[in-house]
Amino acid sequence: MTFMRPIAFAMLVLLTLAVGTVVAEPTHRVFVTNERSDSISVIDSRTNEVEATVDVGDRPRGIGFSPDRAHVYVALGEENAIGVIDARTLEVVKKVSAGSDPEAFAVHPNGNIYLSNEDANLATVLNPASGEILAEIPVGIEPEGVGVSPDGSRVMVTSESTFMVHVIAVPEHEVVANVLVGARPREVTFTTDGKLAYVTSEISGQVSKIDVATNAVVLQVRLEVPKAKPKGVVVSPDQKTLYVSTGSGNTIAALNADTLELLGTVKVGKRVWGIALSRDGSRLYTCNGVDDTVSVVDTASLTVVATIQVGTAPWGVVIDD
Amino acid sequence: MRITARSLAPLGAAIVLLFCAATVAALEVRLIYVGSTDESAWLGVSQGQHEANIQGRFLDQTYTVERMTPEALSQSRPAAAAVVAAGEAAVLQDLSEAMNGVVVFNVTADDDALRRVCTKNLLHVPPSSAMKADAVAQWLHKNPDATVEARAWHPKFVKYAARDLNKRFLRVQGVAMDDDAWAGWAAVRMVAEAVIRTQSNEPSALLAFMKTEIAFDGQKGVPHTFRDTGQLRQRMLIVDEAGKLTGEAPVRGVADTTDLDSLGVPSCQR
Repeated sequence: MTFMRPIAFAMLVLLTLAVGTVVAEPTHRVFVTNERSDSISVIDSRTNEVEATVDVGDRPRGIGFSPDRAHVYVALGEENAIGVIDARTLEVVKKVSAGSDPEAFAVHPNGNIYLSNEDANLATVLNPASGEILAEIPVGIEPEGVGVSPDGSRVMVTSESTFMVHVIAVPEHEVVANVLVGARPREVTFTTDGKLAYVTSEISGQVSKIDVATNAVVLQVRLEVPKAKPKGVVVSPDQKTLYVSTGSGNTIAALNADTLELLGTVKVGKRVWGIALSRDGSRLYTCNGVDDTVSVVDTASLTVVATIQVGTAPWGVVIDD
Repeated sequence: MRITARSLAPLGAAIVLLFCAATVAALEVRLIYVGSTDESAWLGVSQGQHEANIQGRFLDQTYTVERMTPEALSQSRPAAAAVVAAGEAAVLQDLSEAMNGVVVFNVTADDDALRRVCTKNLLHVPPSSAMKADAVAQWLHKNPDATVEARAWHPKFVKYAARDLNKRFLRVQGVAMDDDAWAGWAAVRMVAEAVIRTQSNEPSALLAFMKTEIAFDGQKGVPHTFRDTGQLRQRMLIVDEAGKLTGEAPVRGVADTTDLDSLGVPSCQR
């Protein structure tokens, strides 16, 4: 064992140099916010069993990791705060003021949180370590989805009632473009190479593909899935497949990420909302808001392999694997 | 001076801004409101204008609303992107003729006869009497002993994004949003949607967009479109005797909840 240690240490140093952040051994935990039971459910991804339920505060919705994955952040809408939970001990370490009604957010590679304040038409930049609000950026009405480009140079925020994606330059914190998309844009996500972003629009039933270099919508399709109200969107690690949750359509749609053609659907649970992919892309976890369950989907076969009972109105999900 | 990526960054941002400014032309959108400013429809129009201007801030568009009497409007036929009118059926019919080719939104009248005329430029935002009657009938089919009425909106409506709209309306206008306020708000927001989609403030372009393409998010969970009668398709709310919100129409189990044409007269009868 002793000869492993210098090698392990050297690898850690290399990893630190490569990504600038020490990422601990994964906990293999899936964290789910339960909007109406004010808790998070913690699922062991190896057994698909709930190992803990943690009371976190009033109306938890958006959820994400610190870059080192040591902490789980949860937006607490009715407390105007971000809750910080230790990913290992599951203790609520602290709550940081986050402006009015925080809903969704994304964590920048530098550790800052970019969040939408739904009733204040603002995007707020928060340092969760110091609690300092670094910037408040005016955006459109009912801001919701937030995405950070992998290199951290761009943040996109959707405004649901003004049908736009606001493109914010970092570190300037200036809106450099406003991209019109379909009605009620909900979520935005970048490809791993940062060249493309995808946006779901709930009321128009569309998925938009944005070229990040030009801020132009290069493709926009209506999701031809019965009763689809596109909400969650994630890209497979190989960037070939897009998974979209359809809300009251109760399905996950798999799309060709290039052409946005429908590859298939899988029925999960009622009002499917937030979704997350395992690191290798083989498993998709879905929050089924009305059924109070999480479905685990095998992405290769597009079949549900497990259904897990969680708290009331599951909203968002992240995986540490 | 050394040219570095850092020193070029502001230039890059400036180029992006110029590019965006070049692709979106500045537009001034003039709306005319016909009706009393004591009506809640006016508060809805004001809220719609407020929101359209927030949207417009990002796209270099400004929205103004000017109040006119029906007589002044008929005499002068002013240049306007659209007209929003709160009034009696006869007044609305006259206005739509005086402003031929320009969208005139009815935001208060529920008369079925006004819809039956199928006037091309007169668009009805409130549900018709027939829609209300059908919504109540669907509810009574499931709950035969109930006493209810059907409305377009309710200040305690929270589903979909209704909570957000009720919250911001109350904050800005100081009163709760009712049916007429929702209609006034919706009319102005539909104009704003037509403007951003067509990049035009021309009445004919806006009318064509309303009639054929709009899928408006009225914050009731469904895209709203117009029938050829000029009636806005919409989800309706069932309210009990005590004024409490108890359900939605189309009523689940009686009709397909997305079949908005199960309420009222779906098309012009020729």
